[in-house]
Amino acid sequence: MERPKNKIWDVKARRLELVNDTYLGYIVLMILCAIWFFASKNIKSELILPSFEKTAVEFLTGWTNKRVMTNFWITLKRVLLGVGYAIVVGTIIGIGMGYSKKVYNALSPIINSIRQIPIMTWVPLSIIWFGLGEGPTIFLIFMSAVFPLTINVIDGVANIDQNLVYASRSMGASLSDIIRDIILPGAFPSFLTGVRLAIGGGWQSVI
Amino acid sequence: MECLKIDNITKVYKGNKKEPDKIVLKDISFSINEGEFVCLLGPSGCGKTTLLTMMGGFLEPTSGKILLDGNEIKGPGSERGYVFQNYALFPWMTVKENIAYGLKFSTKTKEEKEERVKYLINMARLNGNEKKFPIQLSGGMQQRVAVARALAGFPRVLLLDEPLGAIDFQMRELLQNELDQMVQEAHITAVMVTHDVSESVFMSDRVIVLGNNHGHIVSDYKIDLPRRRDRESEEFKKCVTELTSLVRIAFNENITAGEACIMKRRK
Repeated sequence: MERPKNKIWDVKARRLELVNDTYLGYIVLMILCAIWFFASKNIKSELILPSFEKTAVEFLTGWTNKRVMTNFWITLKRVLLGVGYAIVVGTIIGIGMGYSKKVYNALSPIINSIRQIPIMTWVPLSIIWFGLGEGPTIFLIFMSAVFPLTINVIDGVANIDQNLVYASRSMGASLSDIIRDIILPGAFPSFLTGVRLAIGGGWQSVI
Repeated sequence: MECLKIDNITKVYKGNKKEPDKIVLKDISFSINEGEFVCLLGPSGCGKTTLLTMMGGFLEPTSGKILLDGNEIKGPGSERGYVFQNYALFPWMTVKENIAYGLKFSTKTKEEKEERVKYLINMARLNGNEKKFPIQLSGGMQQRVAVARALAGFPRVLLLDEPLGAIDFQMRELLQNELDQMVQEAHITAVMVTHDVSESVFMSDRVIVLGNNHGHIVSDYKIDLPRRRDRESEEFKKCVTELTSLVRIAFNENITAGEACIMKRRK
């Protein structure tokens, strides 16, 4: 049997396509849970491996616990805000750097050195900059989300067939027309990958 | 009447520390008349595509000028329709949107544009496929969309960069027929780059053979056969034979240049 292609962006149908064997993930999850269940029965020490049943109950009651849920929404809001800023900044920088070699050469030393800084080292500085409260958290989420996004957008824009840009220019398109009609749709698949990585990165730096 | 004039074009690709400058074209001059179909024929690497790219305005000559109706070409423009080797159709646009894009930035009214797109879809025999995406089309249909898109904005010249380069032999002849028909119907001046001798004889009024020696013009060959040419006719075969030997000369120019280079080193 032919394996279905795992594409997340279907150019033909112009929509996101969910891969139809997602159930495989649930099967693996269930197998892992079963291993956990039997392992915890054998180990009999809650400190080393808490029992599966207790953890499952805690997990489920957490969803109805008011305190847990308010905190969950606060975190979600922070992640969305941080990732949102990252999408705006990353897309603009990414398009600039992907489209123009000059912009790329001008910005890549800064971008490439800043993105190596471990996220935790930003903590003291961000507290000094933004004070205590929402500010530093959103900043940290932004910092860990913006680089994977930028790099993906750069890659997506740079890999657009140069002839597509030439073609639209030969039909009289201006730079803004080219960005709207060629660059944005052409880089969209990479942009989506970037957003996925950005959201992942954002969640990881939630403190 | 003179339409396109290539005036003393030289193109040098700047080298770096490891590689010396590469002279691709040196002092090339010729002109193309209104309504003519001209093929640039030559071995790969002779600079024919570079020359076409400069006519398209995507590349600037190092020295010399290219004039269209007396105006110097500076950058790409809608008065020159360009058909790319890989067609460069916009993958996220339908057939109709692709063709309409060629008119998007013209000053015509919405109705006139609509009318023009309809006419081109008809001419390219794409009826019923308007809503398809390029990926869903056969190679031949993709080519017709590309030509229709390039013709949409009423360009003065059509520039074709090896439009049939990657197509197998049998399909090629079929697509040559289609391309020939479309260009004849559009009554347009056209320049096509190719390395296929029989294709150039089938399509063009004039074949300019460029040599490997910085694009030196080996021959400016006129073909005066009636249209919808018969590939089996004696005259056709004679043209092919003559041009083939000219291309061989064009190719050997490179070898002599290369040998000269080696000889120099030996000395």
